[in-house]
Amino acid sequence: MRTYIGLVWAVARKDLLVEFRTFERLTSMGAFVVLIGVLFYFSMNTAVVRPQDIAAALIWMTIIFVGMLGMGGTFRLEEQDGALTGILQSPIPLDALYLGKVLSNFILLSVMVALILVVFTAFFRLQFSGNPYALFGVLACGVLGFVSLTTLFSAMTARSSMGESLLPVLIFPLLFPVIRFGTTATDRLFAARPFEEVRGDLSLLAAFAIIFTFACAWLFRFVIEE
Amino acid sequence: MTCGLEAAGLVRDFGGVRAVDGVSFQLQPGELLAVFGPNGAGKTTLLRMLAGVMRPTAGHVRVAGEAADVAGREWRHRVGIVSHQSLLYGQLTMAENLFFYGRLFGLTDLKTRIPERLAEVGLSDRAQTPVRDLSRGLKQRVALARALLHDPEVVLLDEPYTGLDPHASAVLREQLTLLKDGRRTVVLVTHNLKQGLELADLVAIQVQGRFASVANAADLDQAGVEAWYHATVEASP
Amino acid sequence: MSQKQTQWAIGVLGTLGVVAVIALHWMVFFWVPTESTMGIVQRIYYIHIPAWWIAFLAFGAVAVCSAVYLWLGDDRLDRAAVTAAEAGMIFTTIGLLTGPLWGRVAWGVWWEWEPRLTSALLLWFIFLGYFLVRRSTVNPEQGKRFAAVIGIIGVLDIPFIHVSVTWFRSLHPAAVVLNPDGFAMNLDPSMGATLGVGLLAFSLVFAALFLAGYTVAGYEHKLDLREAASAGARGAEA
Repeated sequence: MRTYIGLVWAVARKDLLVEFRTFERLTSMGAFVVLIGVLFYFSMNTAVVRPQDIAAALIWMTIIFVGMLGMGGTFRLEEQDGALTGILQSPIPLDALYLGKVLSNFILLSVMVALILVVFTAFFRLQFSGNPYALFGVLACGVLGFVSLTTLFSAMTARSSMGESLLPVLIFPLLFPVIRFGTTATDRLFAARPFEEVRGDLSLLAAFAIIFTFACAWLFRFVIEE
Repeated sequence: MTCGLEAAGLVRDFGGVRAVDGVSFQLQPGELLAVFGPNGAGKTTLLRMLAGVMRPTAGHVRVAGEAADVAGREWRHRVGIVSHQSLLYGQLTMAENLFFYGRLFGLTDLKTRIPERLAEVGLSDRAQTPVRDLSRGLKQRVALARALLHDPEVVLLDEPYTGLDPHASAVLREQLTLLKDGRRTVVLVTHNLKQGLELADLVAIQVQGRFASVANAADLDQAGVEAWYHATVEASP
Repeated sequence: MSQKQTQWAIGVLGTLGVVAVIALHWMVFFWVPTESTMGIVQRIYYIHIPAWWIAFLAFGAVAVCSAVYLWLGDDRLDRAAVTAAEAGMIFTTIGLLTGPLWGRVAWGVWWEWEPRLTSALLLWFIFLGYFLVRRSTVNPEQGKRFAAVIGIIGVLDIPFIHVSVTWFRSLHPAAVVLNPDGFAMNLDPSMGATLGVGLLAFSLVFAALFLAGYTVAGYEHKLDLREAASAGARGAEA
């Protein structure tokens, strides 16, 4: 078990090392967050719509778009000099490879979620008086669910001729529950509703994240194999 | 004696196209098989099946007598692969690349092993250089160090001389000579008939997915191998 | 099943299906009483609900065939899955077209985010993804595997989609009127019978389409094999 976790961490560590060496993904994702905030602000009539009232929608739609941008190329790194062949030839179990990718994507997207909260609080003057731990839980489970599906599908699109343009078509319908539960829970938390009103959505988000992480880990071998 | 590497009836189809059409061979430990053939003969596909990276449509592979199928993970400790691509991460240093692959192969003594391997390929002083800053020749040396890091019994080389200048080719040839230690079983796919013949015990010519002809390297010389190669390729449908 | 038996089965199922569909339409237009709250336009539900039900059944078939295909690698299971997906897509499209027709006349809007329509729309896109990914790979075997993975992921997602659309705006007043379960509570026995005939008719048509599609896919596969073999033989002779 320790070896298995060690292998998962080796993959994640390598991805994070490459990213922190180049900052390619974080830079483009971070710029996207700021720019989308600008576009959102100027596309709203703030006399009629209070950003505070639609904070959940703004946050979650940005998470989805920035996630697509950043996670879509998950396996691009491996395609460059054929590193994927080297990894597949090694003894690493394929589900450990998948989980390592999920872990590194989860960390990167979580950094972006933190940036989104900071930037949107500044841009839209958001105020939050709800349960911060519940918000953390909702965002963490939603991001994990999102990352588990996106990582599996980005392995698929890396091997298809349609490439990353296929990714949103495949993923958006499947992510509908994450958006639905995520925005409802976030809405209620921003409205400082009690935890009991959020518990149902949070449970479903957690169930989604767990079920799909396991399912995708198992299905990954059918996608990555030639 | 248990075979170092055995292939039995390997077939690979891609939709309606048969890329490998029933390849079989047996190599004893210490033997080197050079595989020549024109582009599109299925040599890379064959090698990928031997490496367990591609699932055969039919047939099987055995490494040191053990079944080597795509689903199995343990037998992969015994195999190393060098491709015409470097299989490395350009943004990471040599040492970091080797560390990552070392972890994948479950190696624990990397602090001593990595410097040793880099010294073997003459790159000790550049361990902290990012791989993308290296020339093609140096990248291939690191690629070889990576393939041999876990001391595999079977080494597969897919056109390792591709893109190398004469000096780099000569250096690589020297490194590959060291593989002939009587213990390792090697399959070398190459377009370079001269260098393939120098190292080989057995030579095969793959055309349209099959081994059209197999010979002992000892029975051939330079002029002989070229004539044999051209005759075999031209005779094939 | 022999070729003759298959053709006979397709013929019987198809004929019974067509007869049942004609009977259904007769019942819908001439026999079943008009529902009190929604009026004449409610009759489209006898088409809409069975279409939706068959779509989900088809998707279930896709998922089961996909899972067994990944396990056993038998091409016939992939052909069964893609045939079920084609039929499922047809019925999902029927559901998506009949829903707005009803909505336009009943509420004056072309689209309403009610649970069945929303699920059908998402399901339609999951089916679309299934087909797109099949065709998007260089290696057709890989495309089949990718599609099978989507089939399995999709079926795992459906319960989540169902819960998320059903719980949405649960206090919205329209949900009570639009809720087919609410409608079911007012069911006259003749309405139940019509709905039952609708389910039967669509099931028969689905079965006929599935069997015919699967048989054709089998012939196409044999033809591909024959063409590949003769191309190989021609190459050998040259």
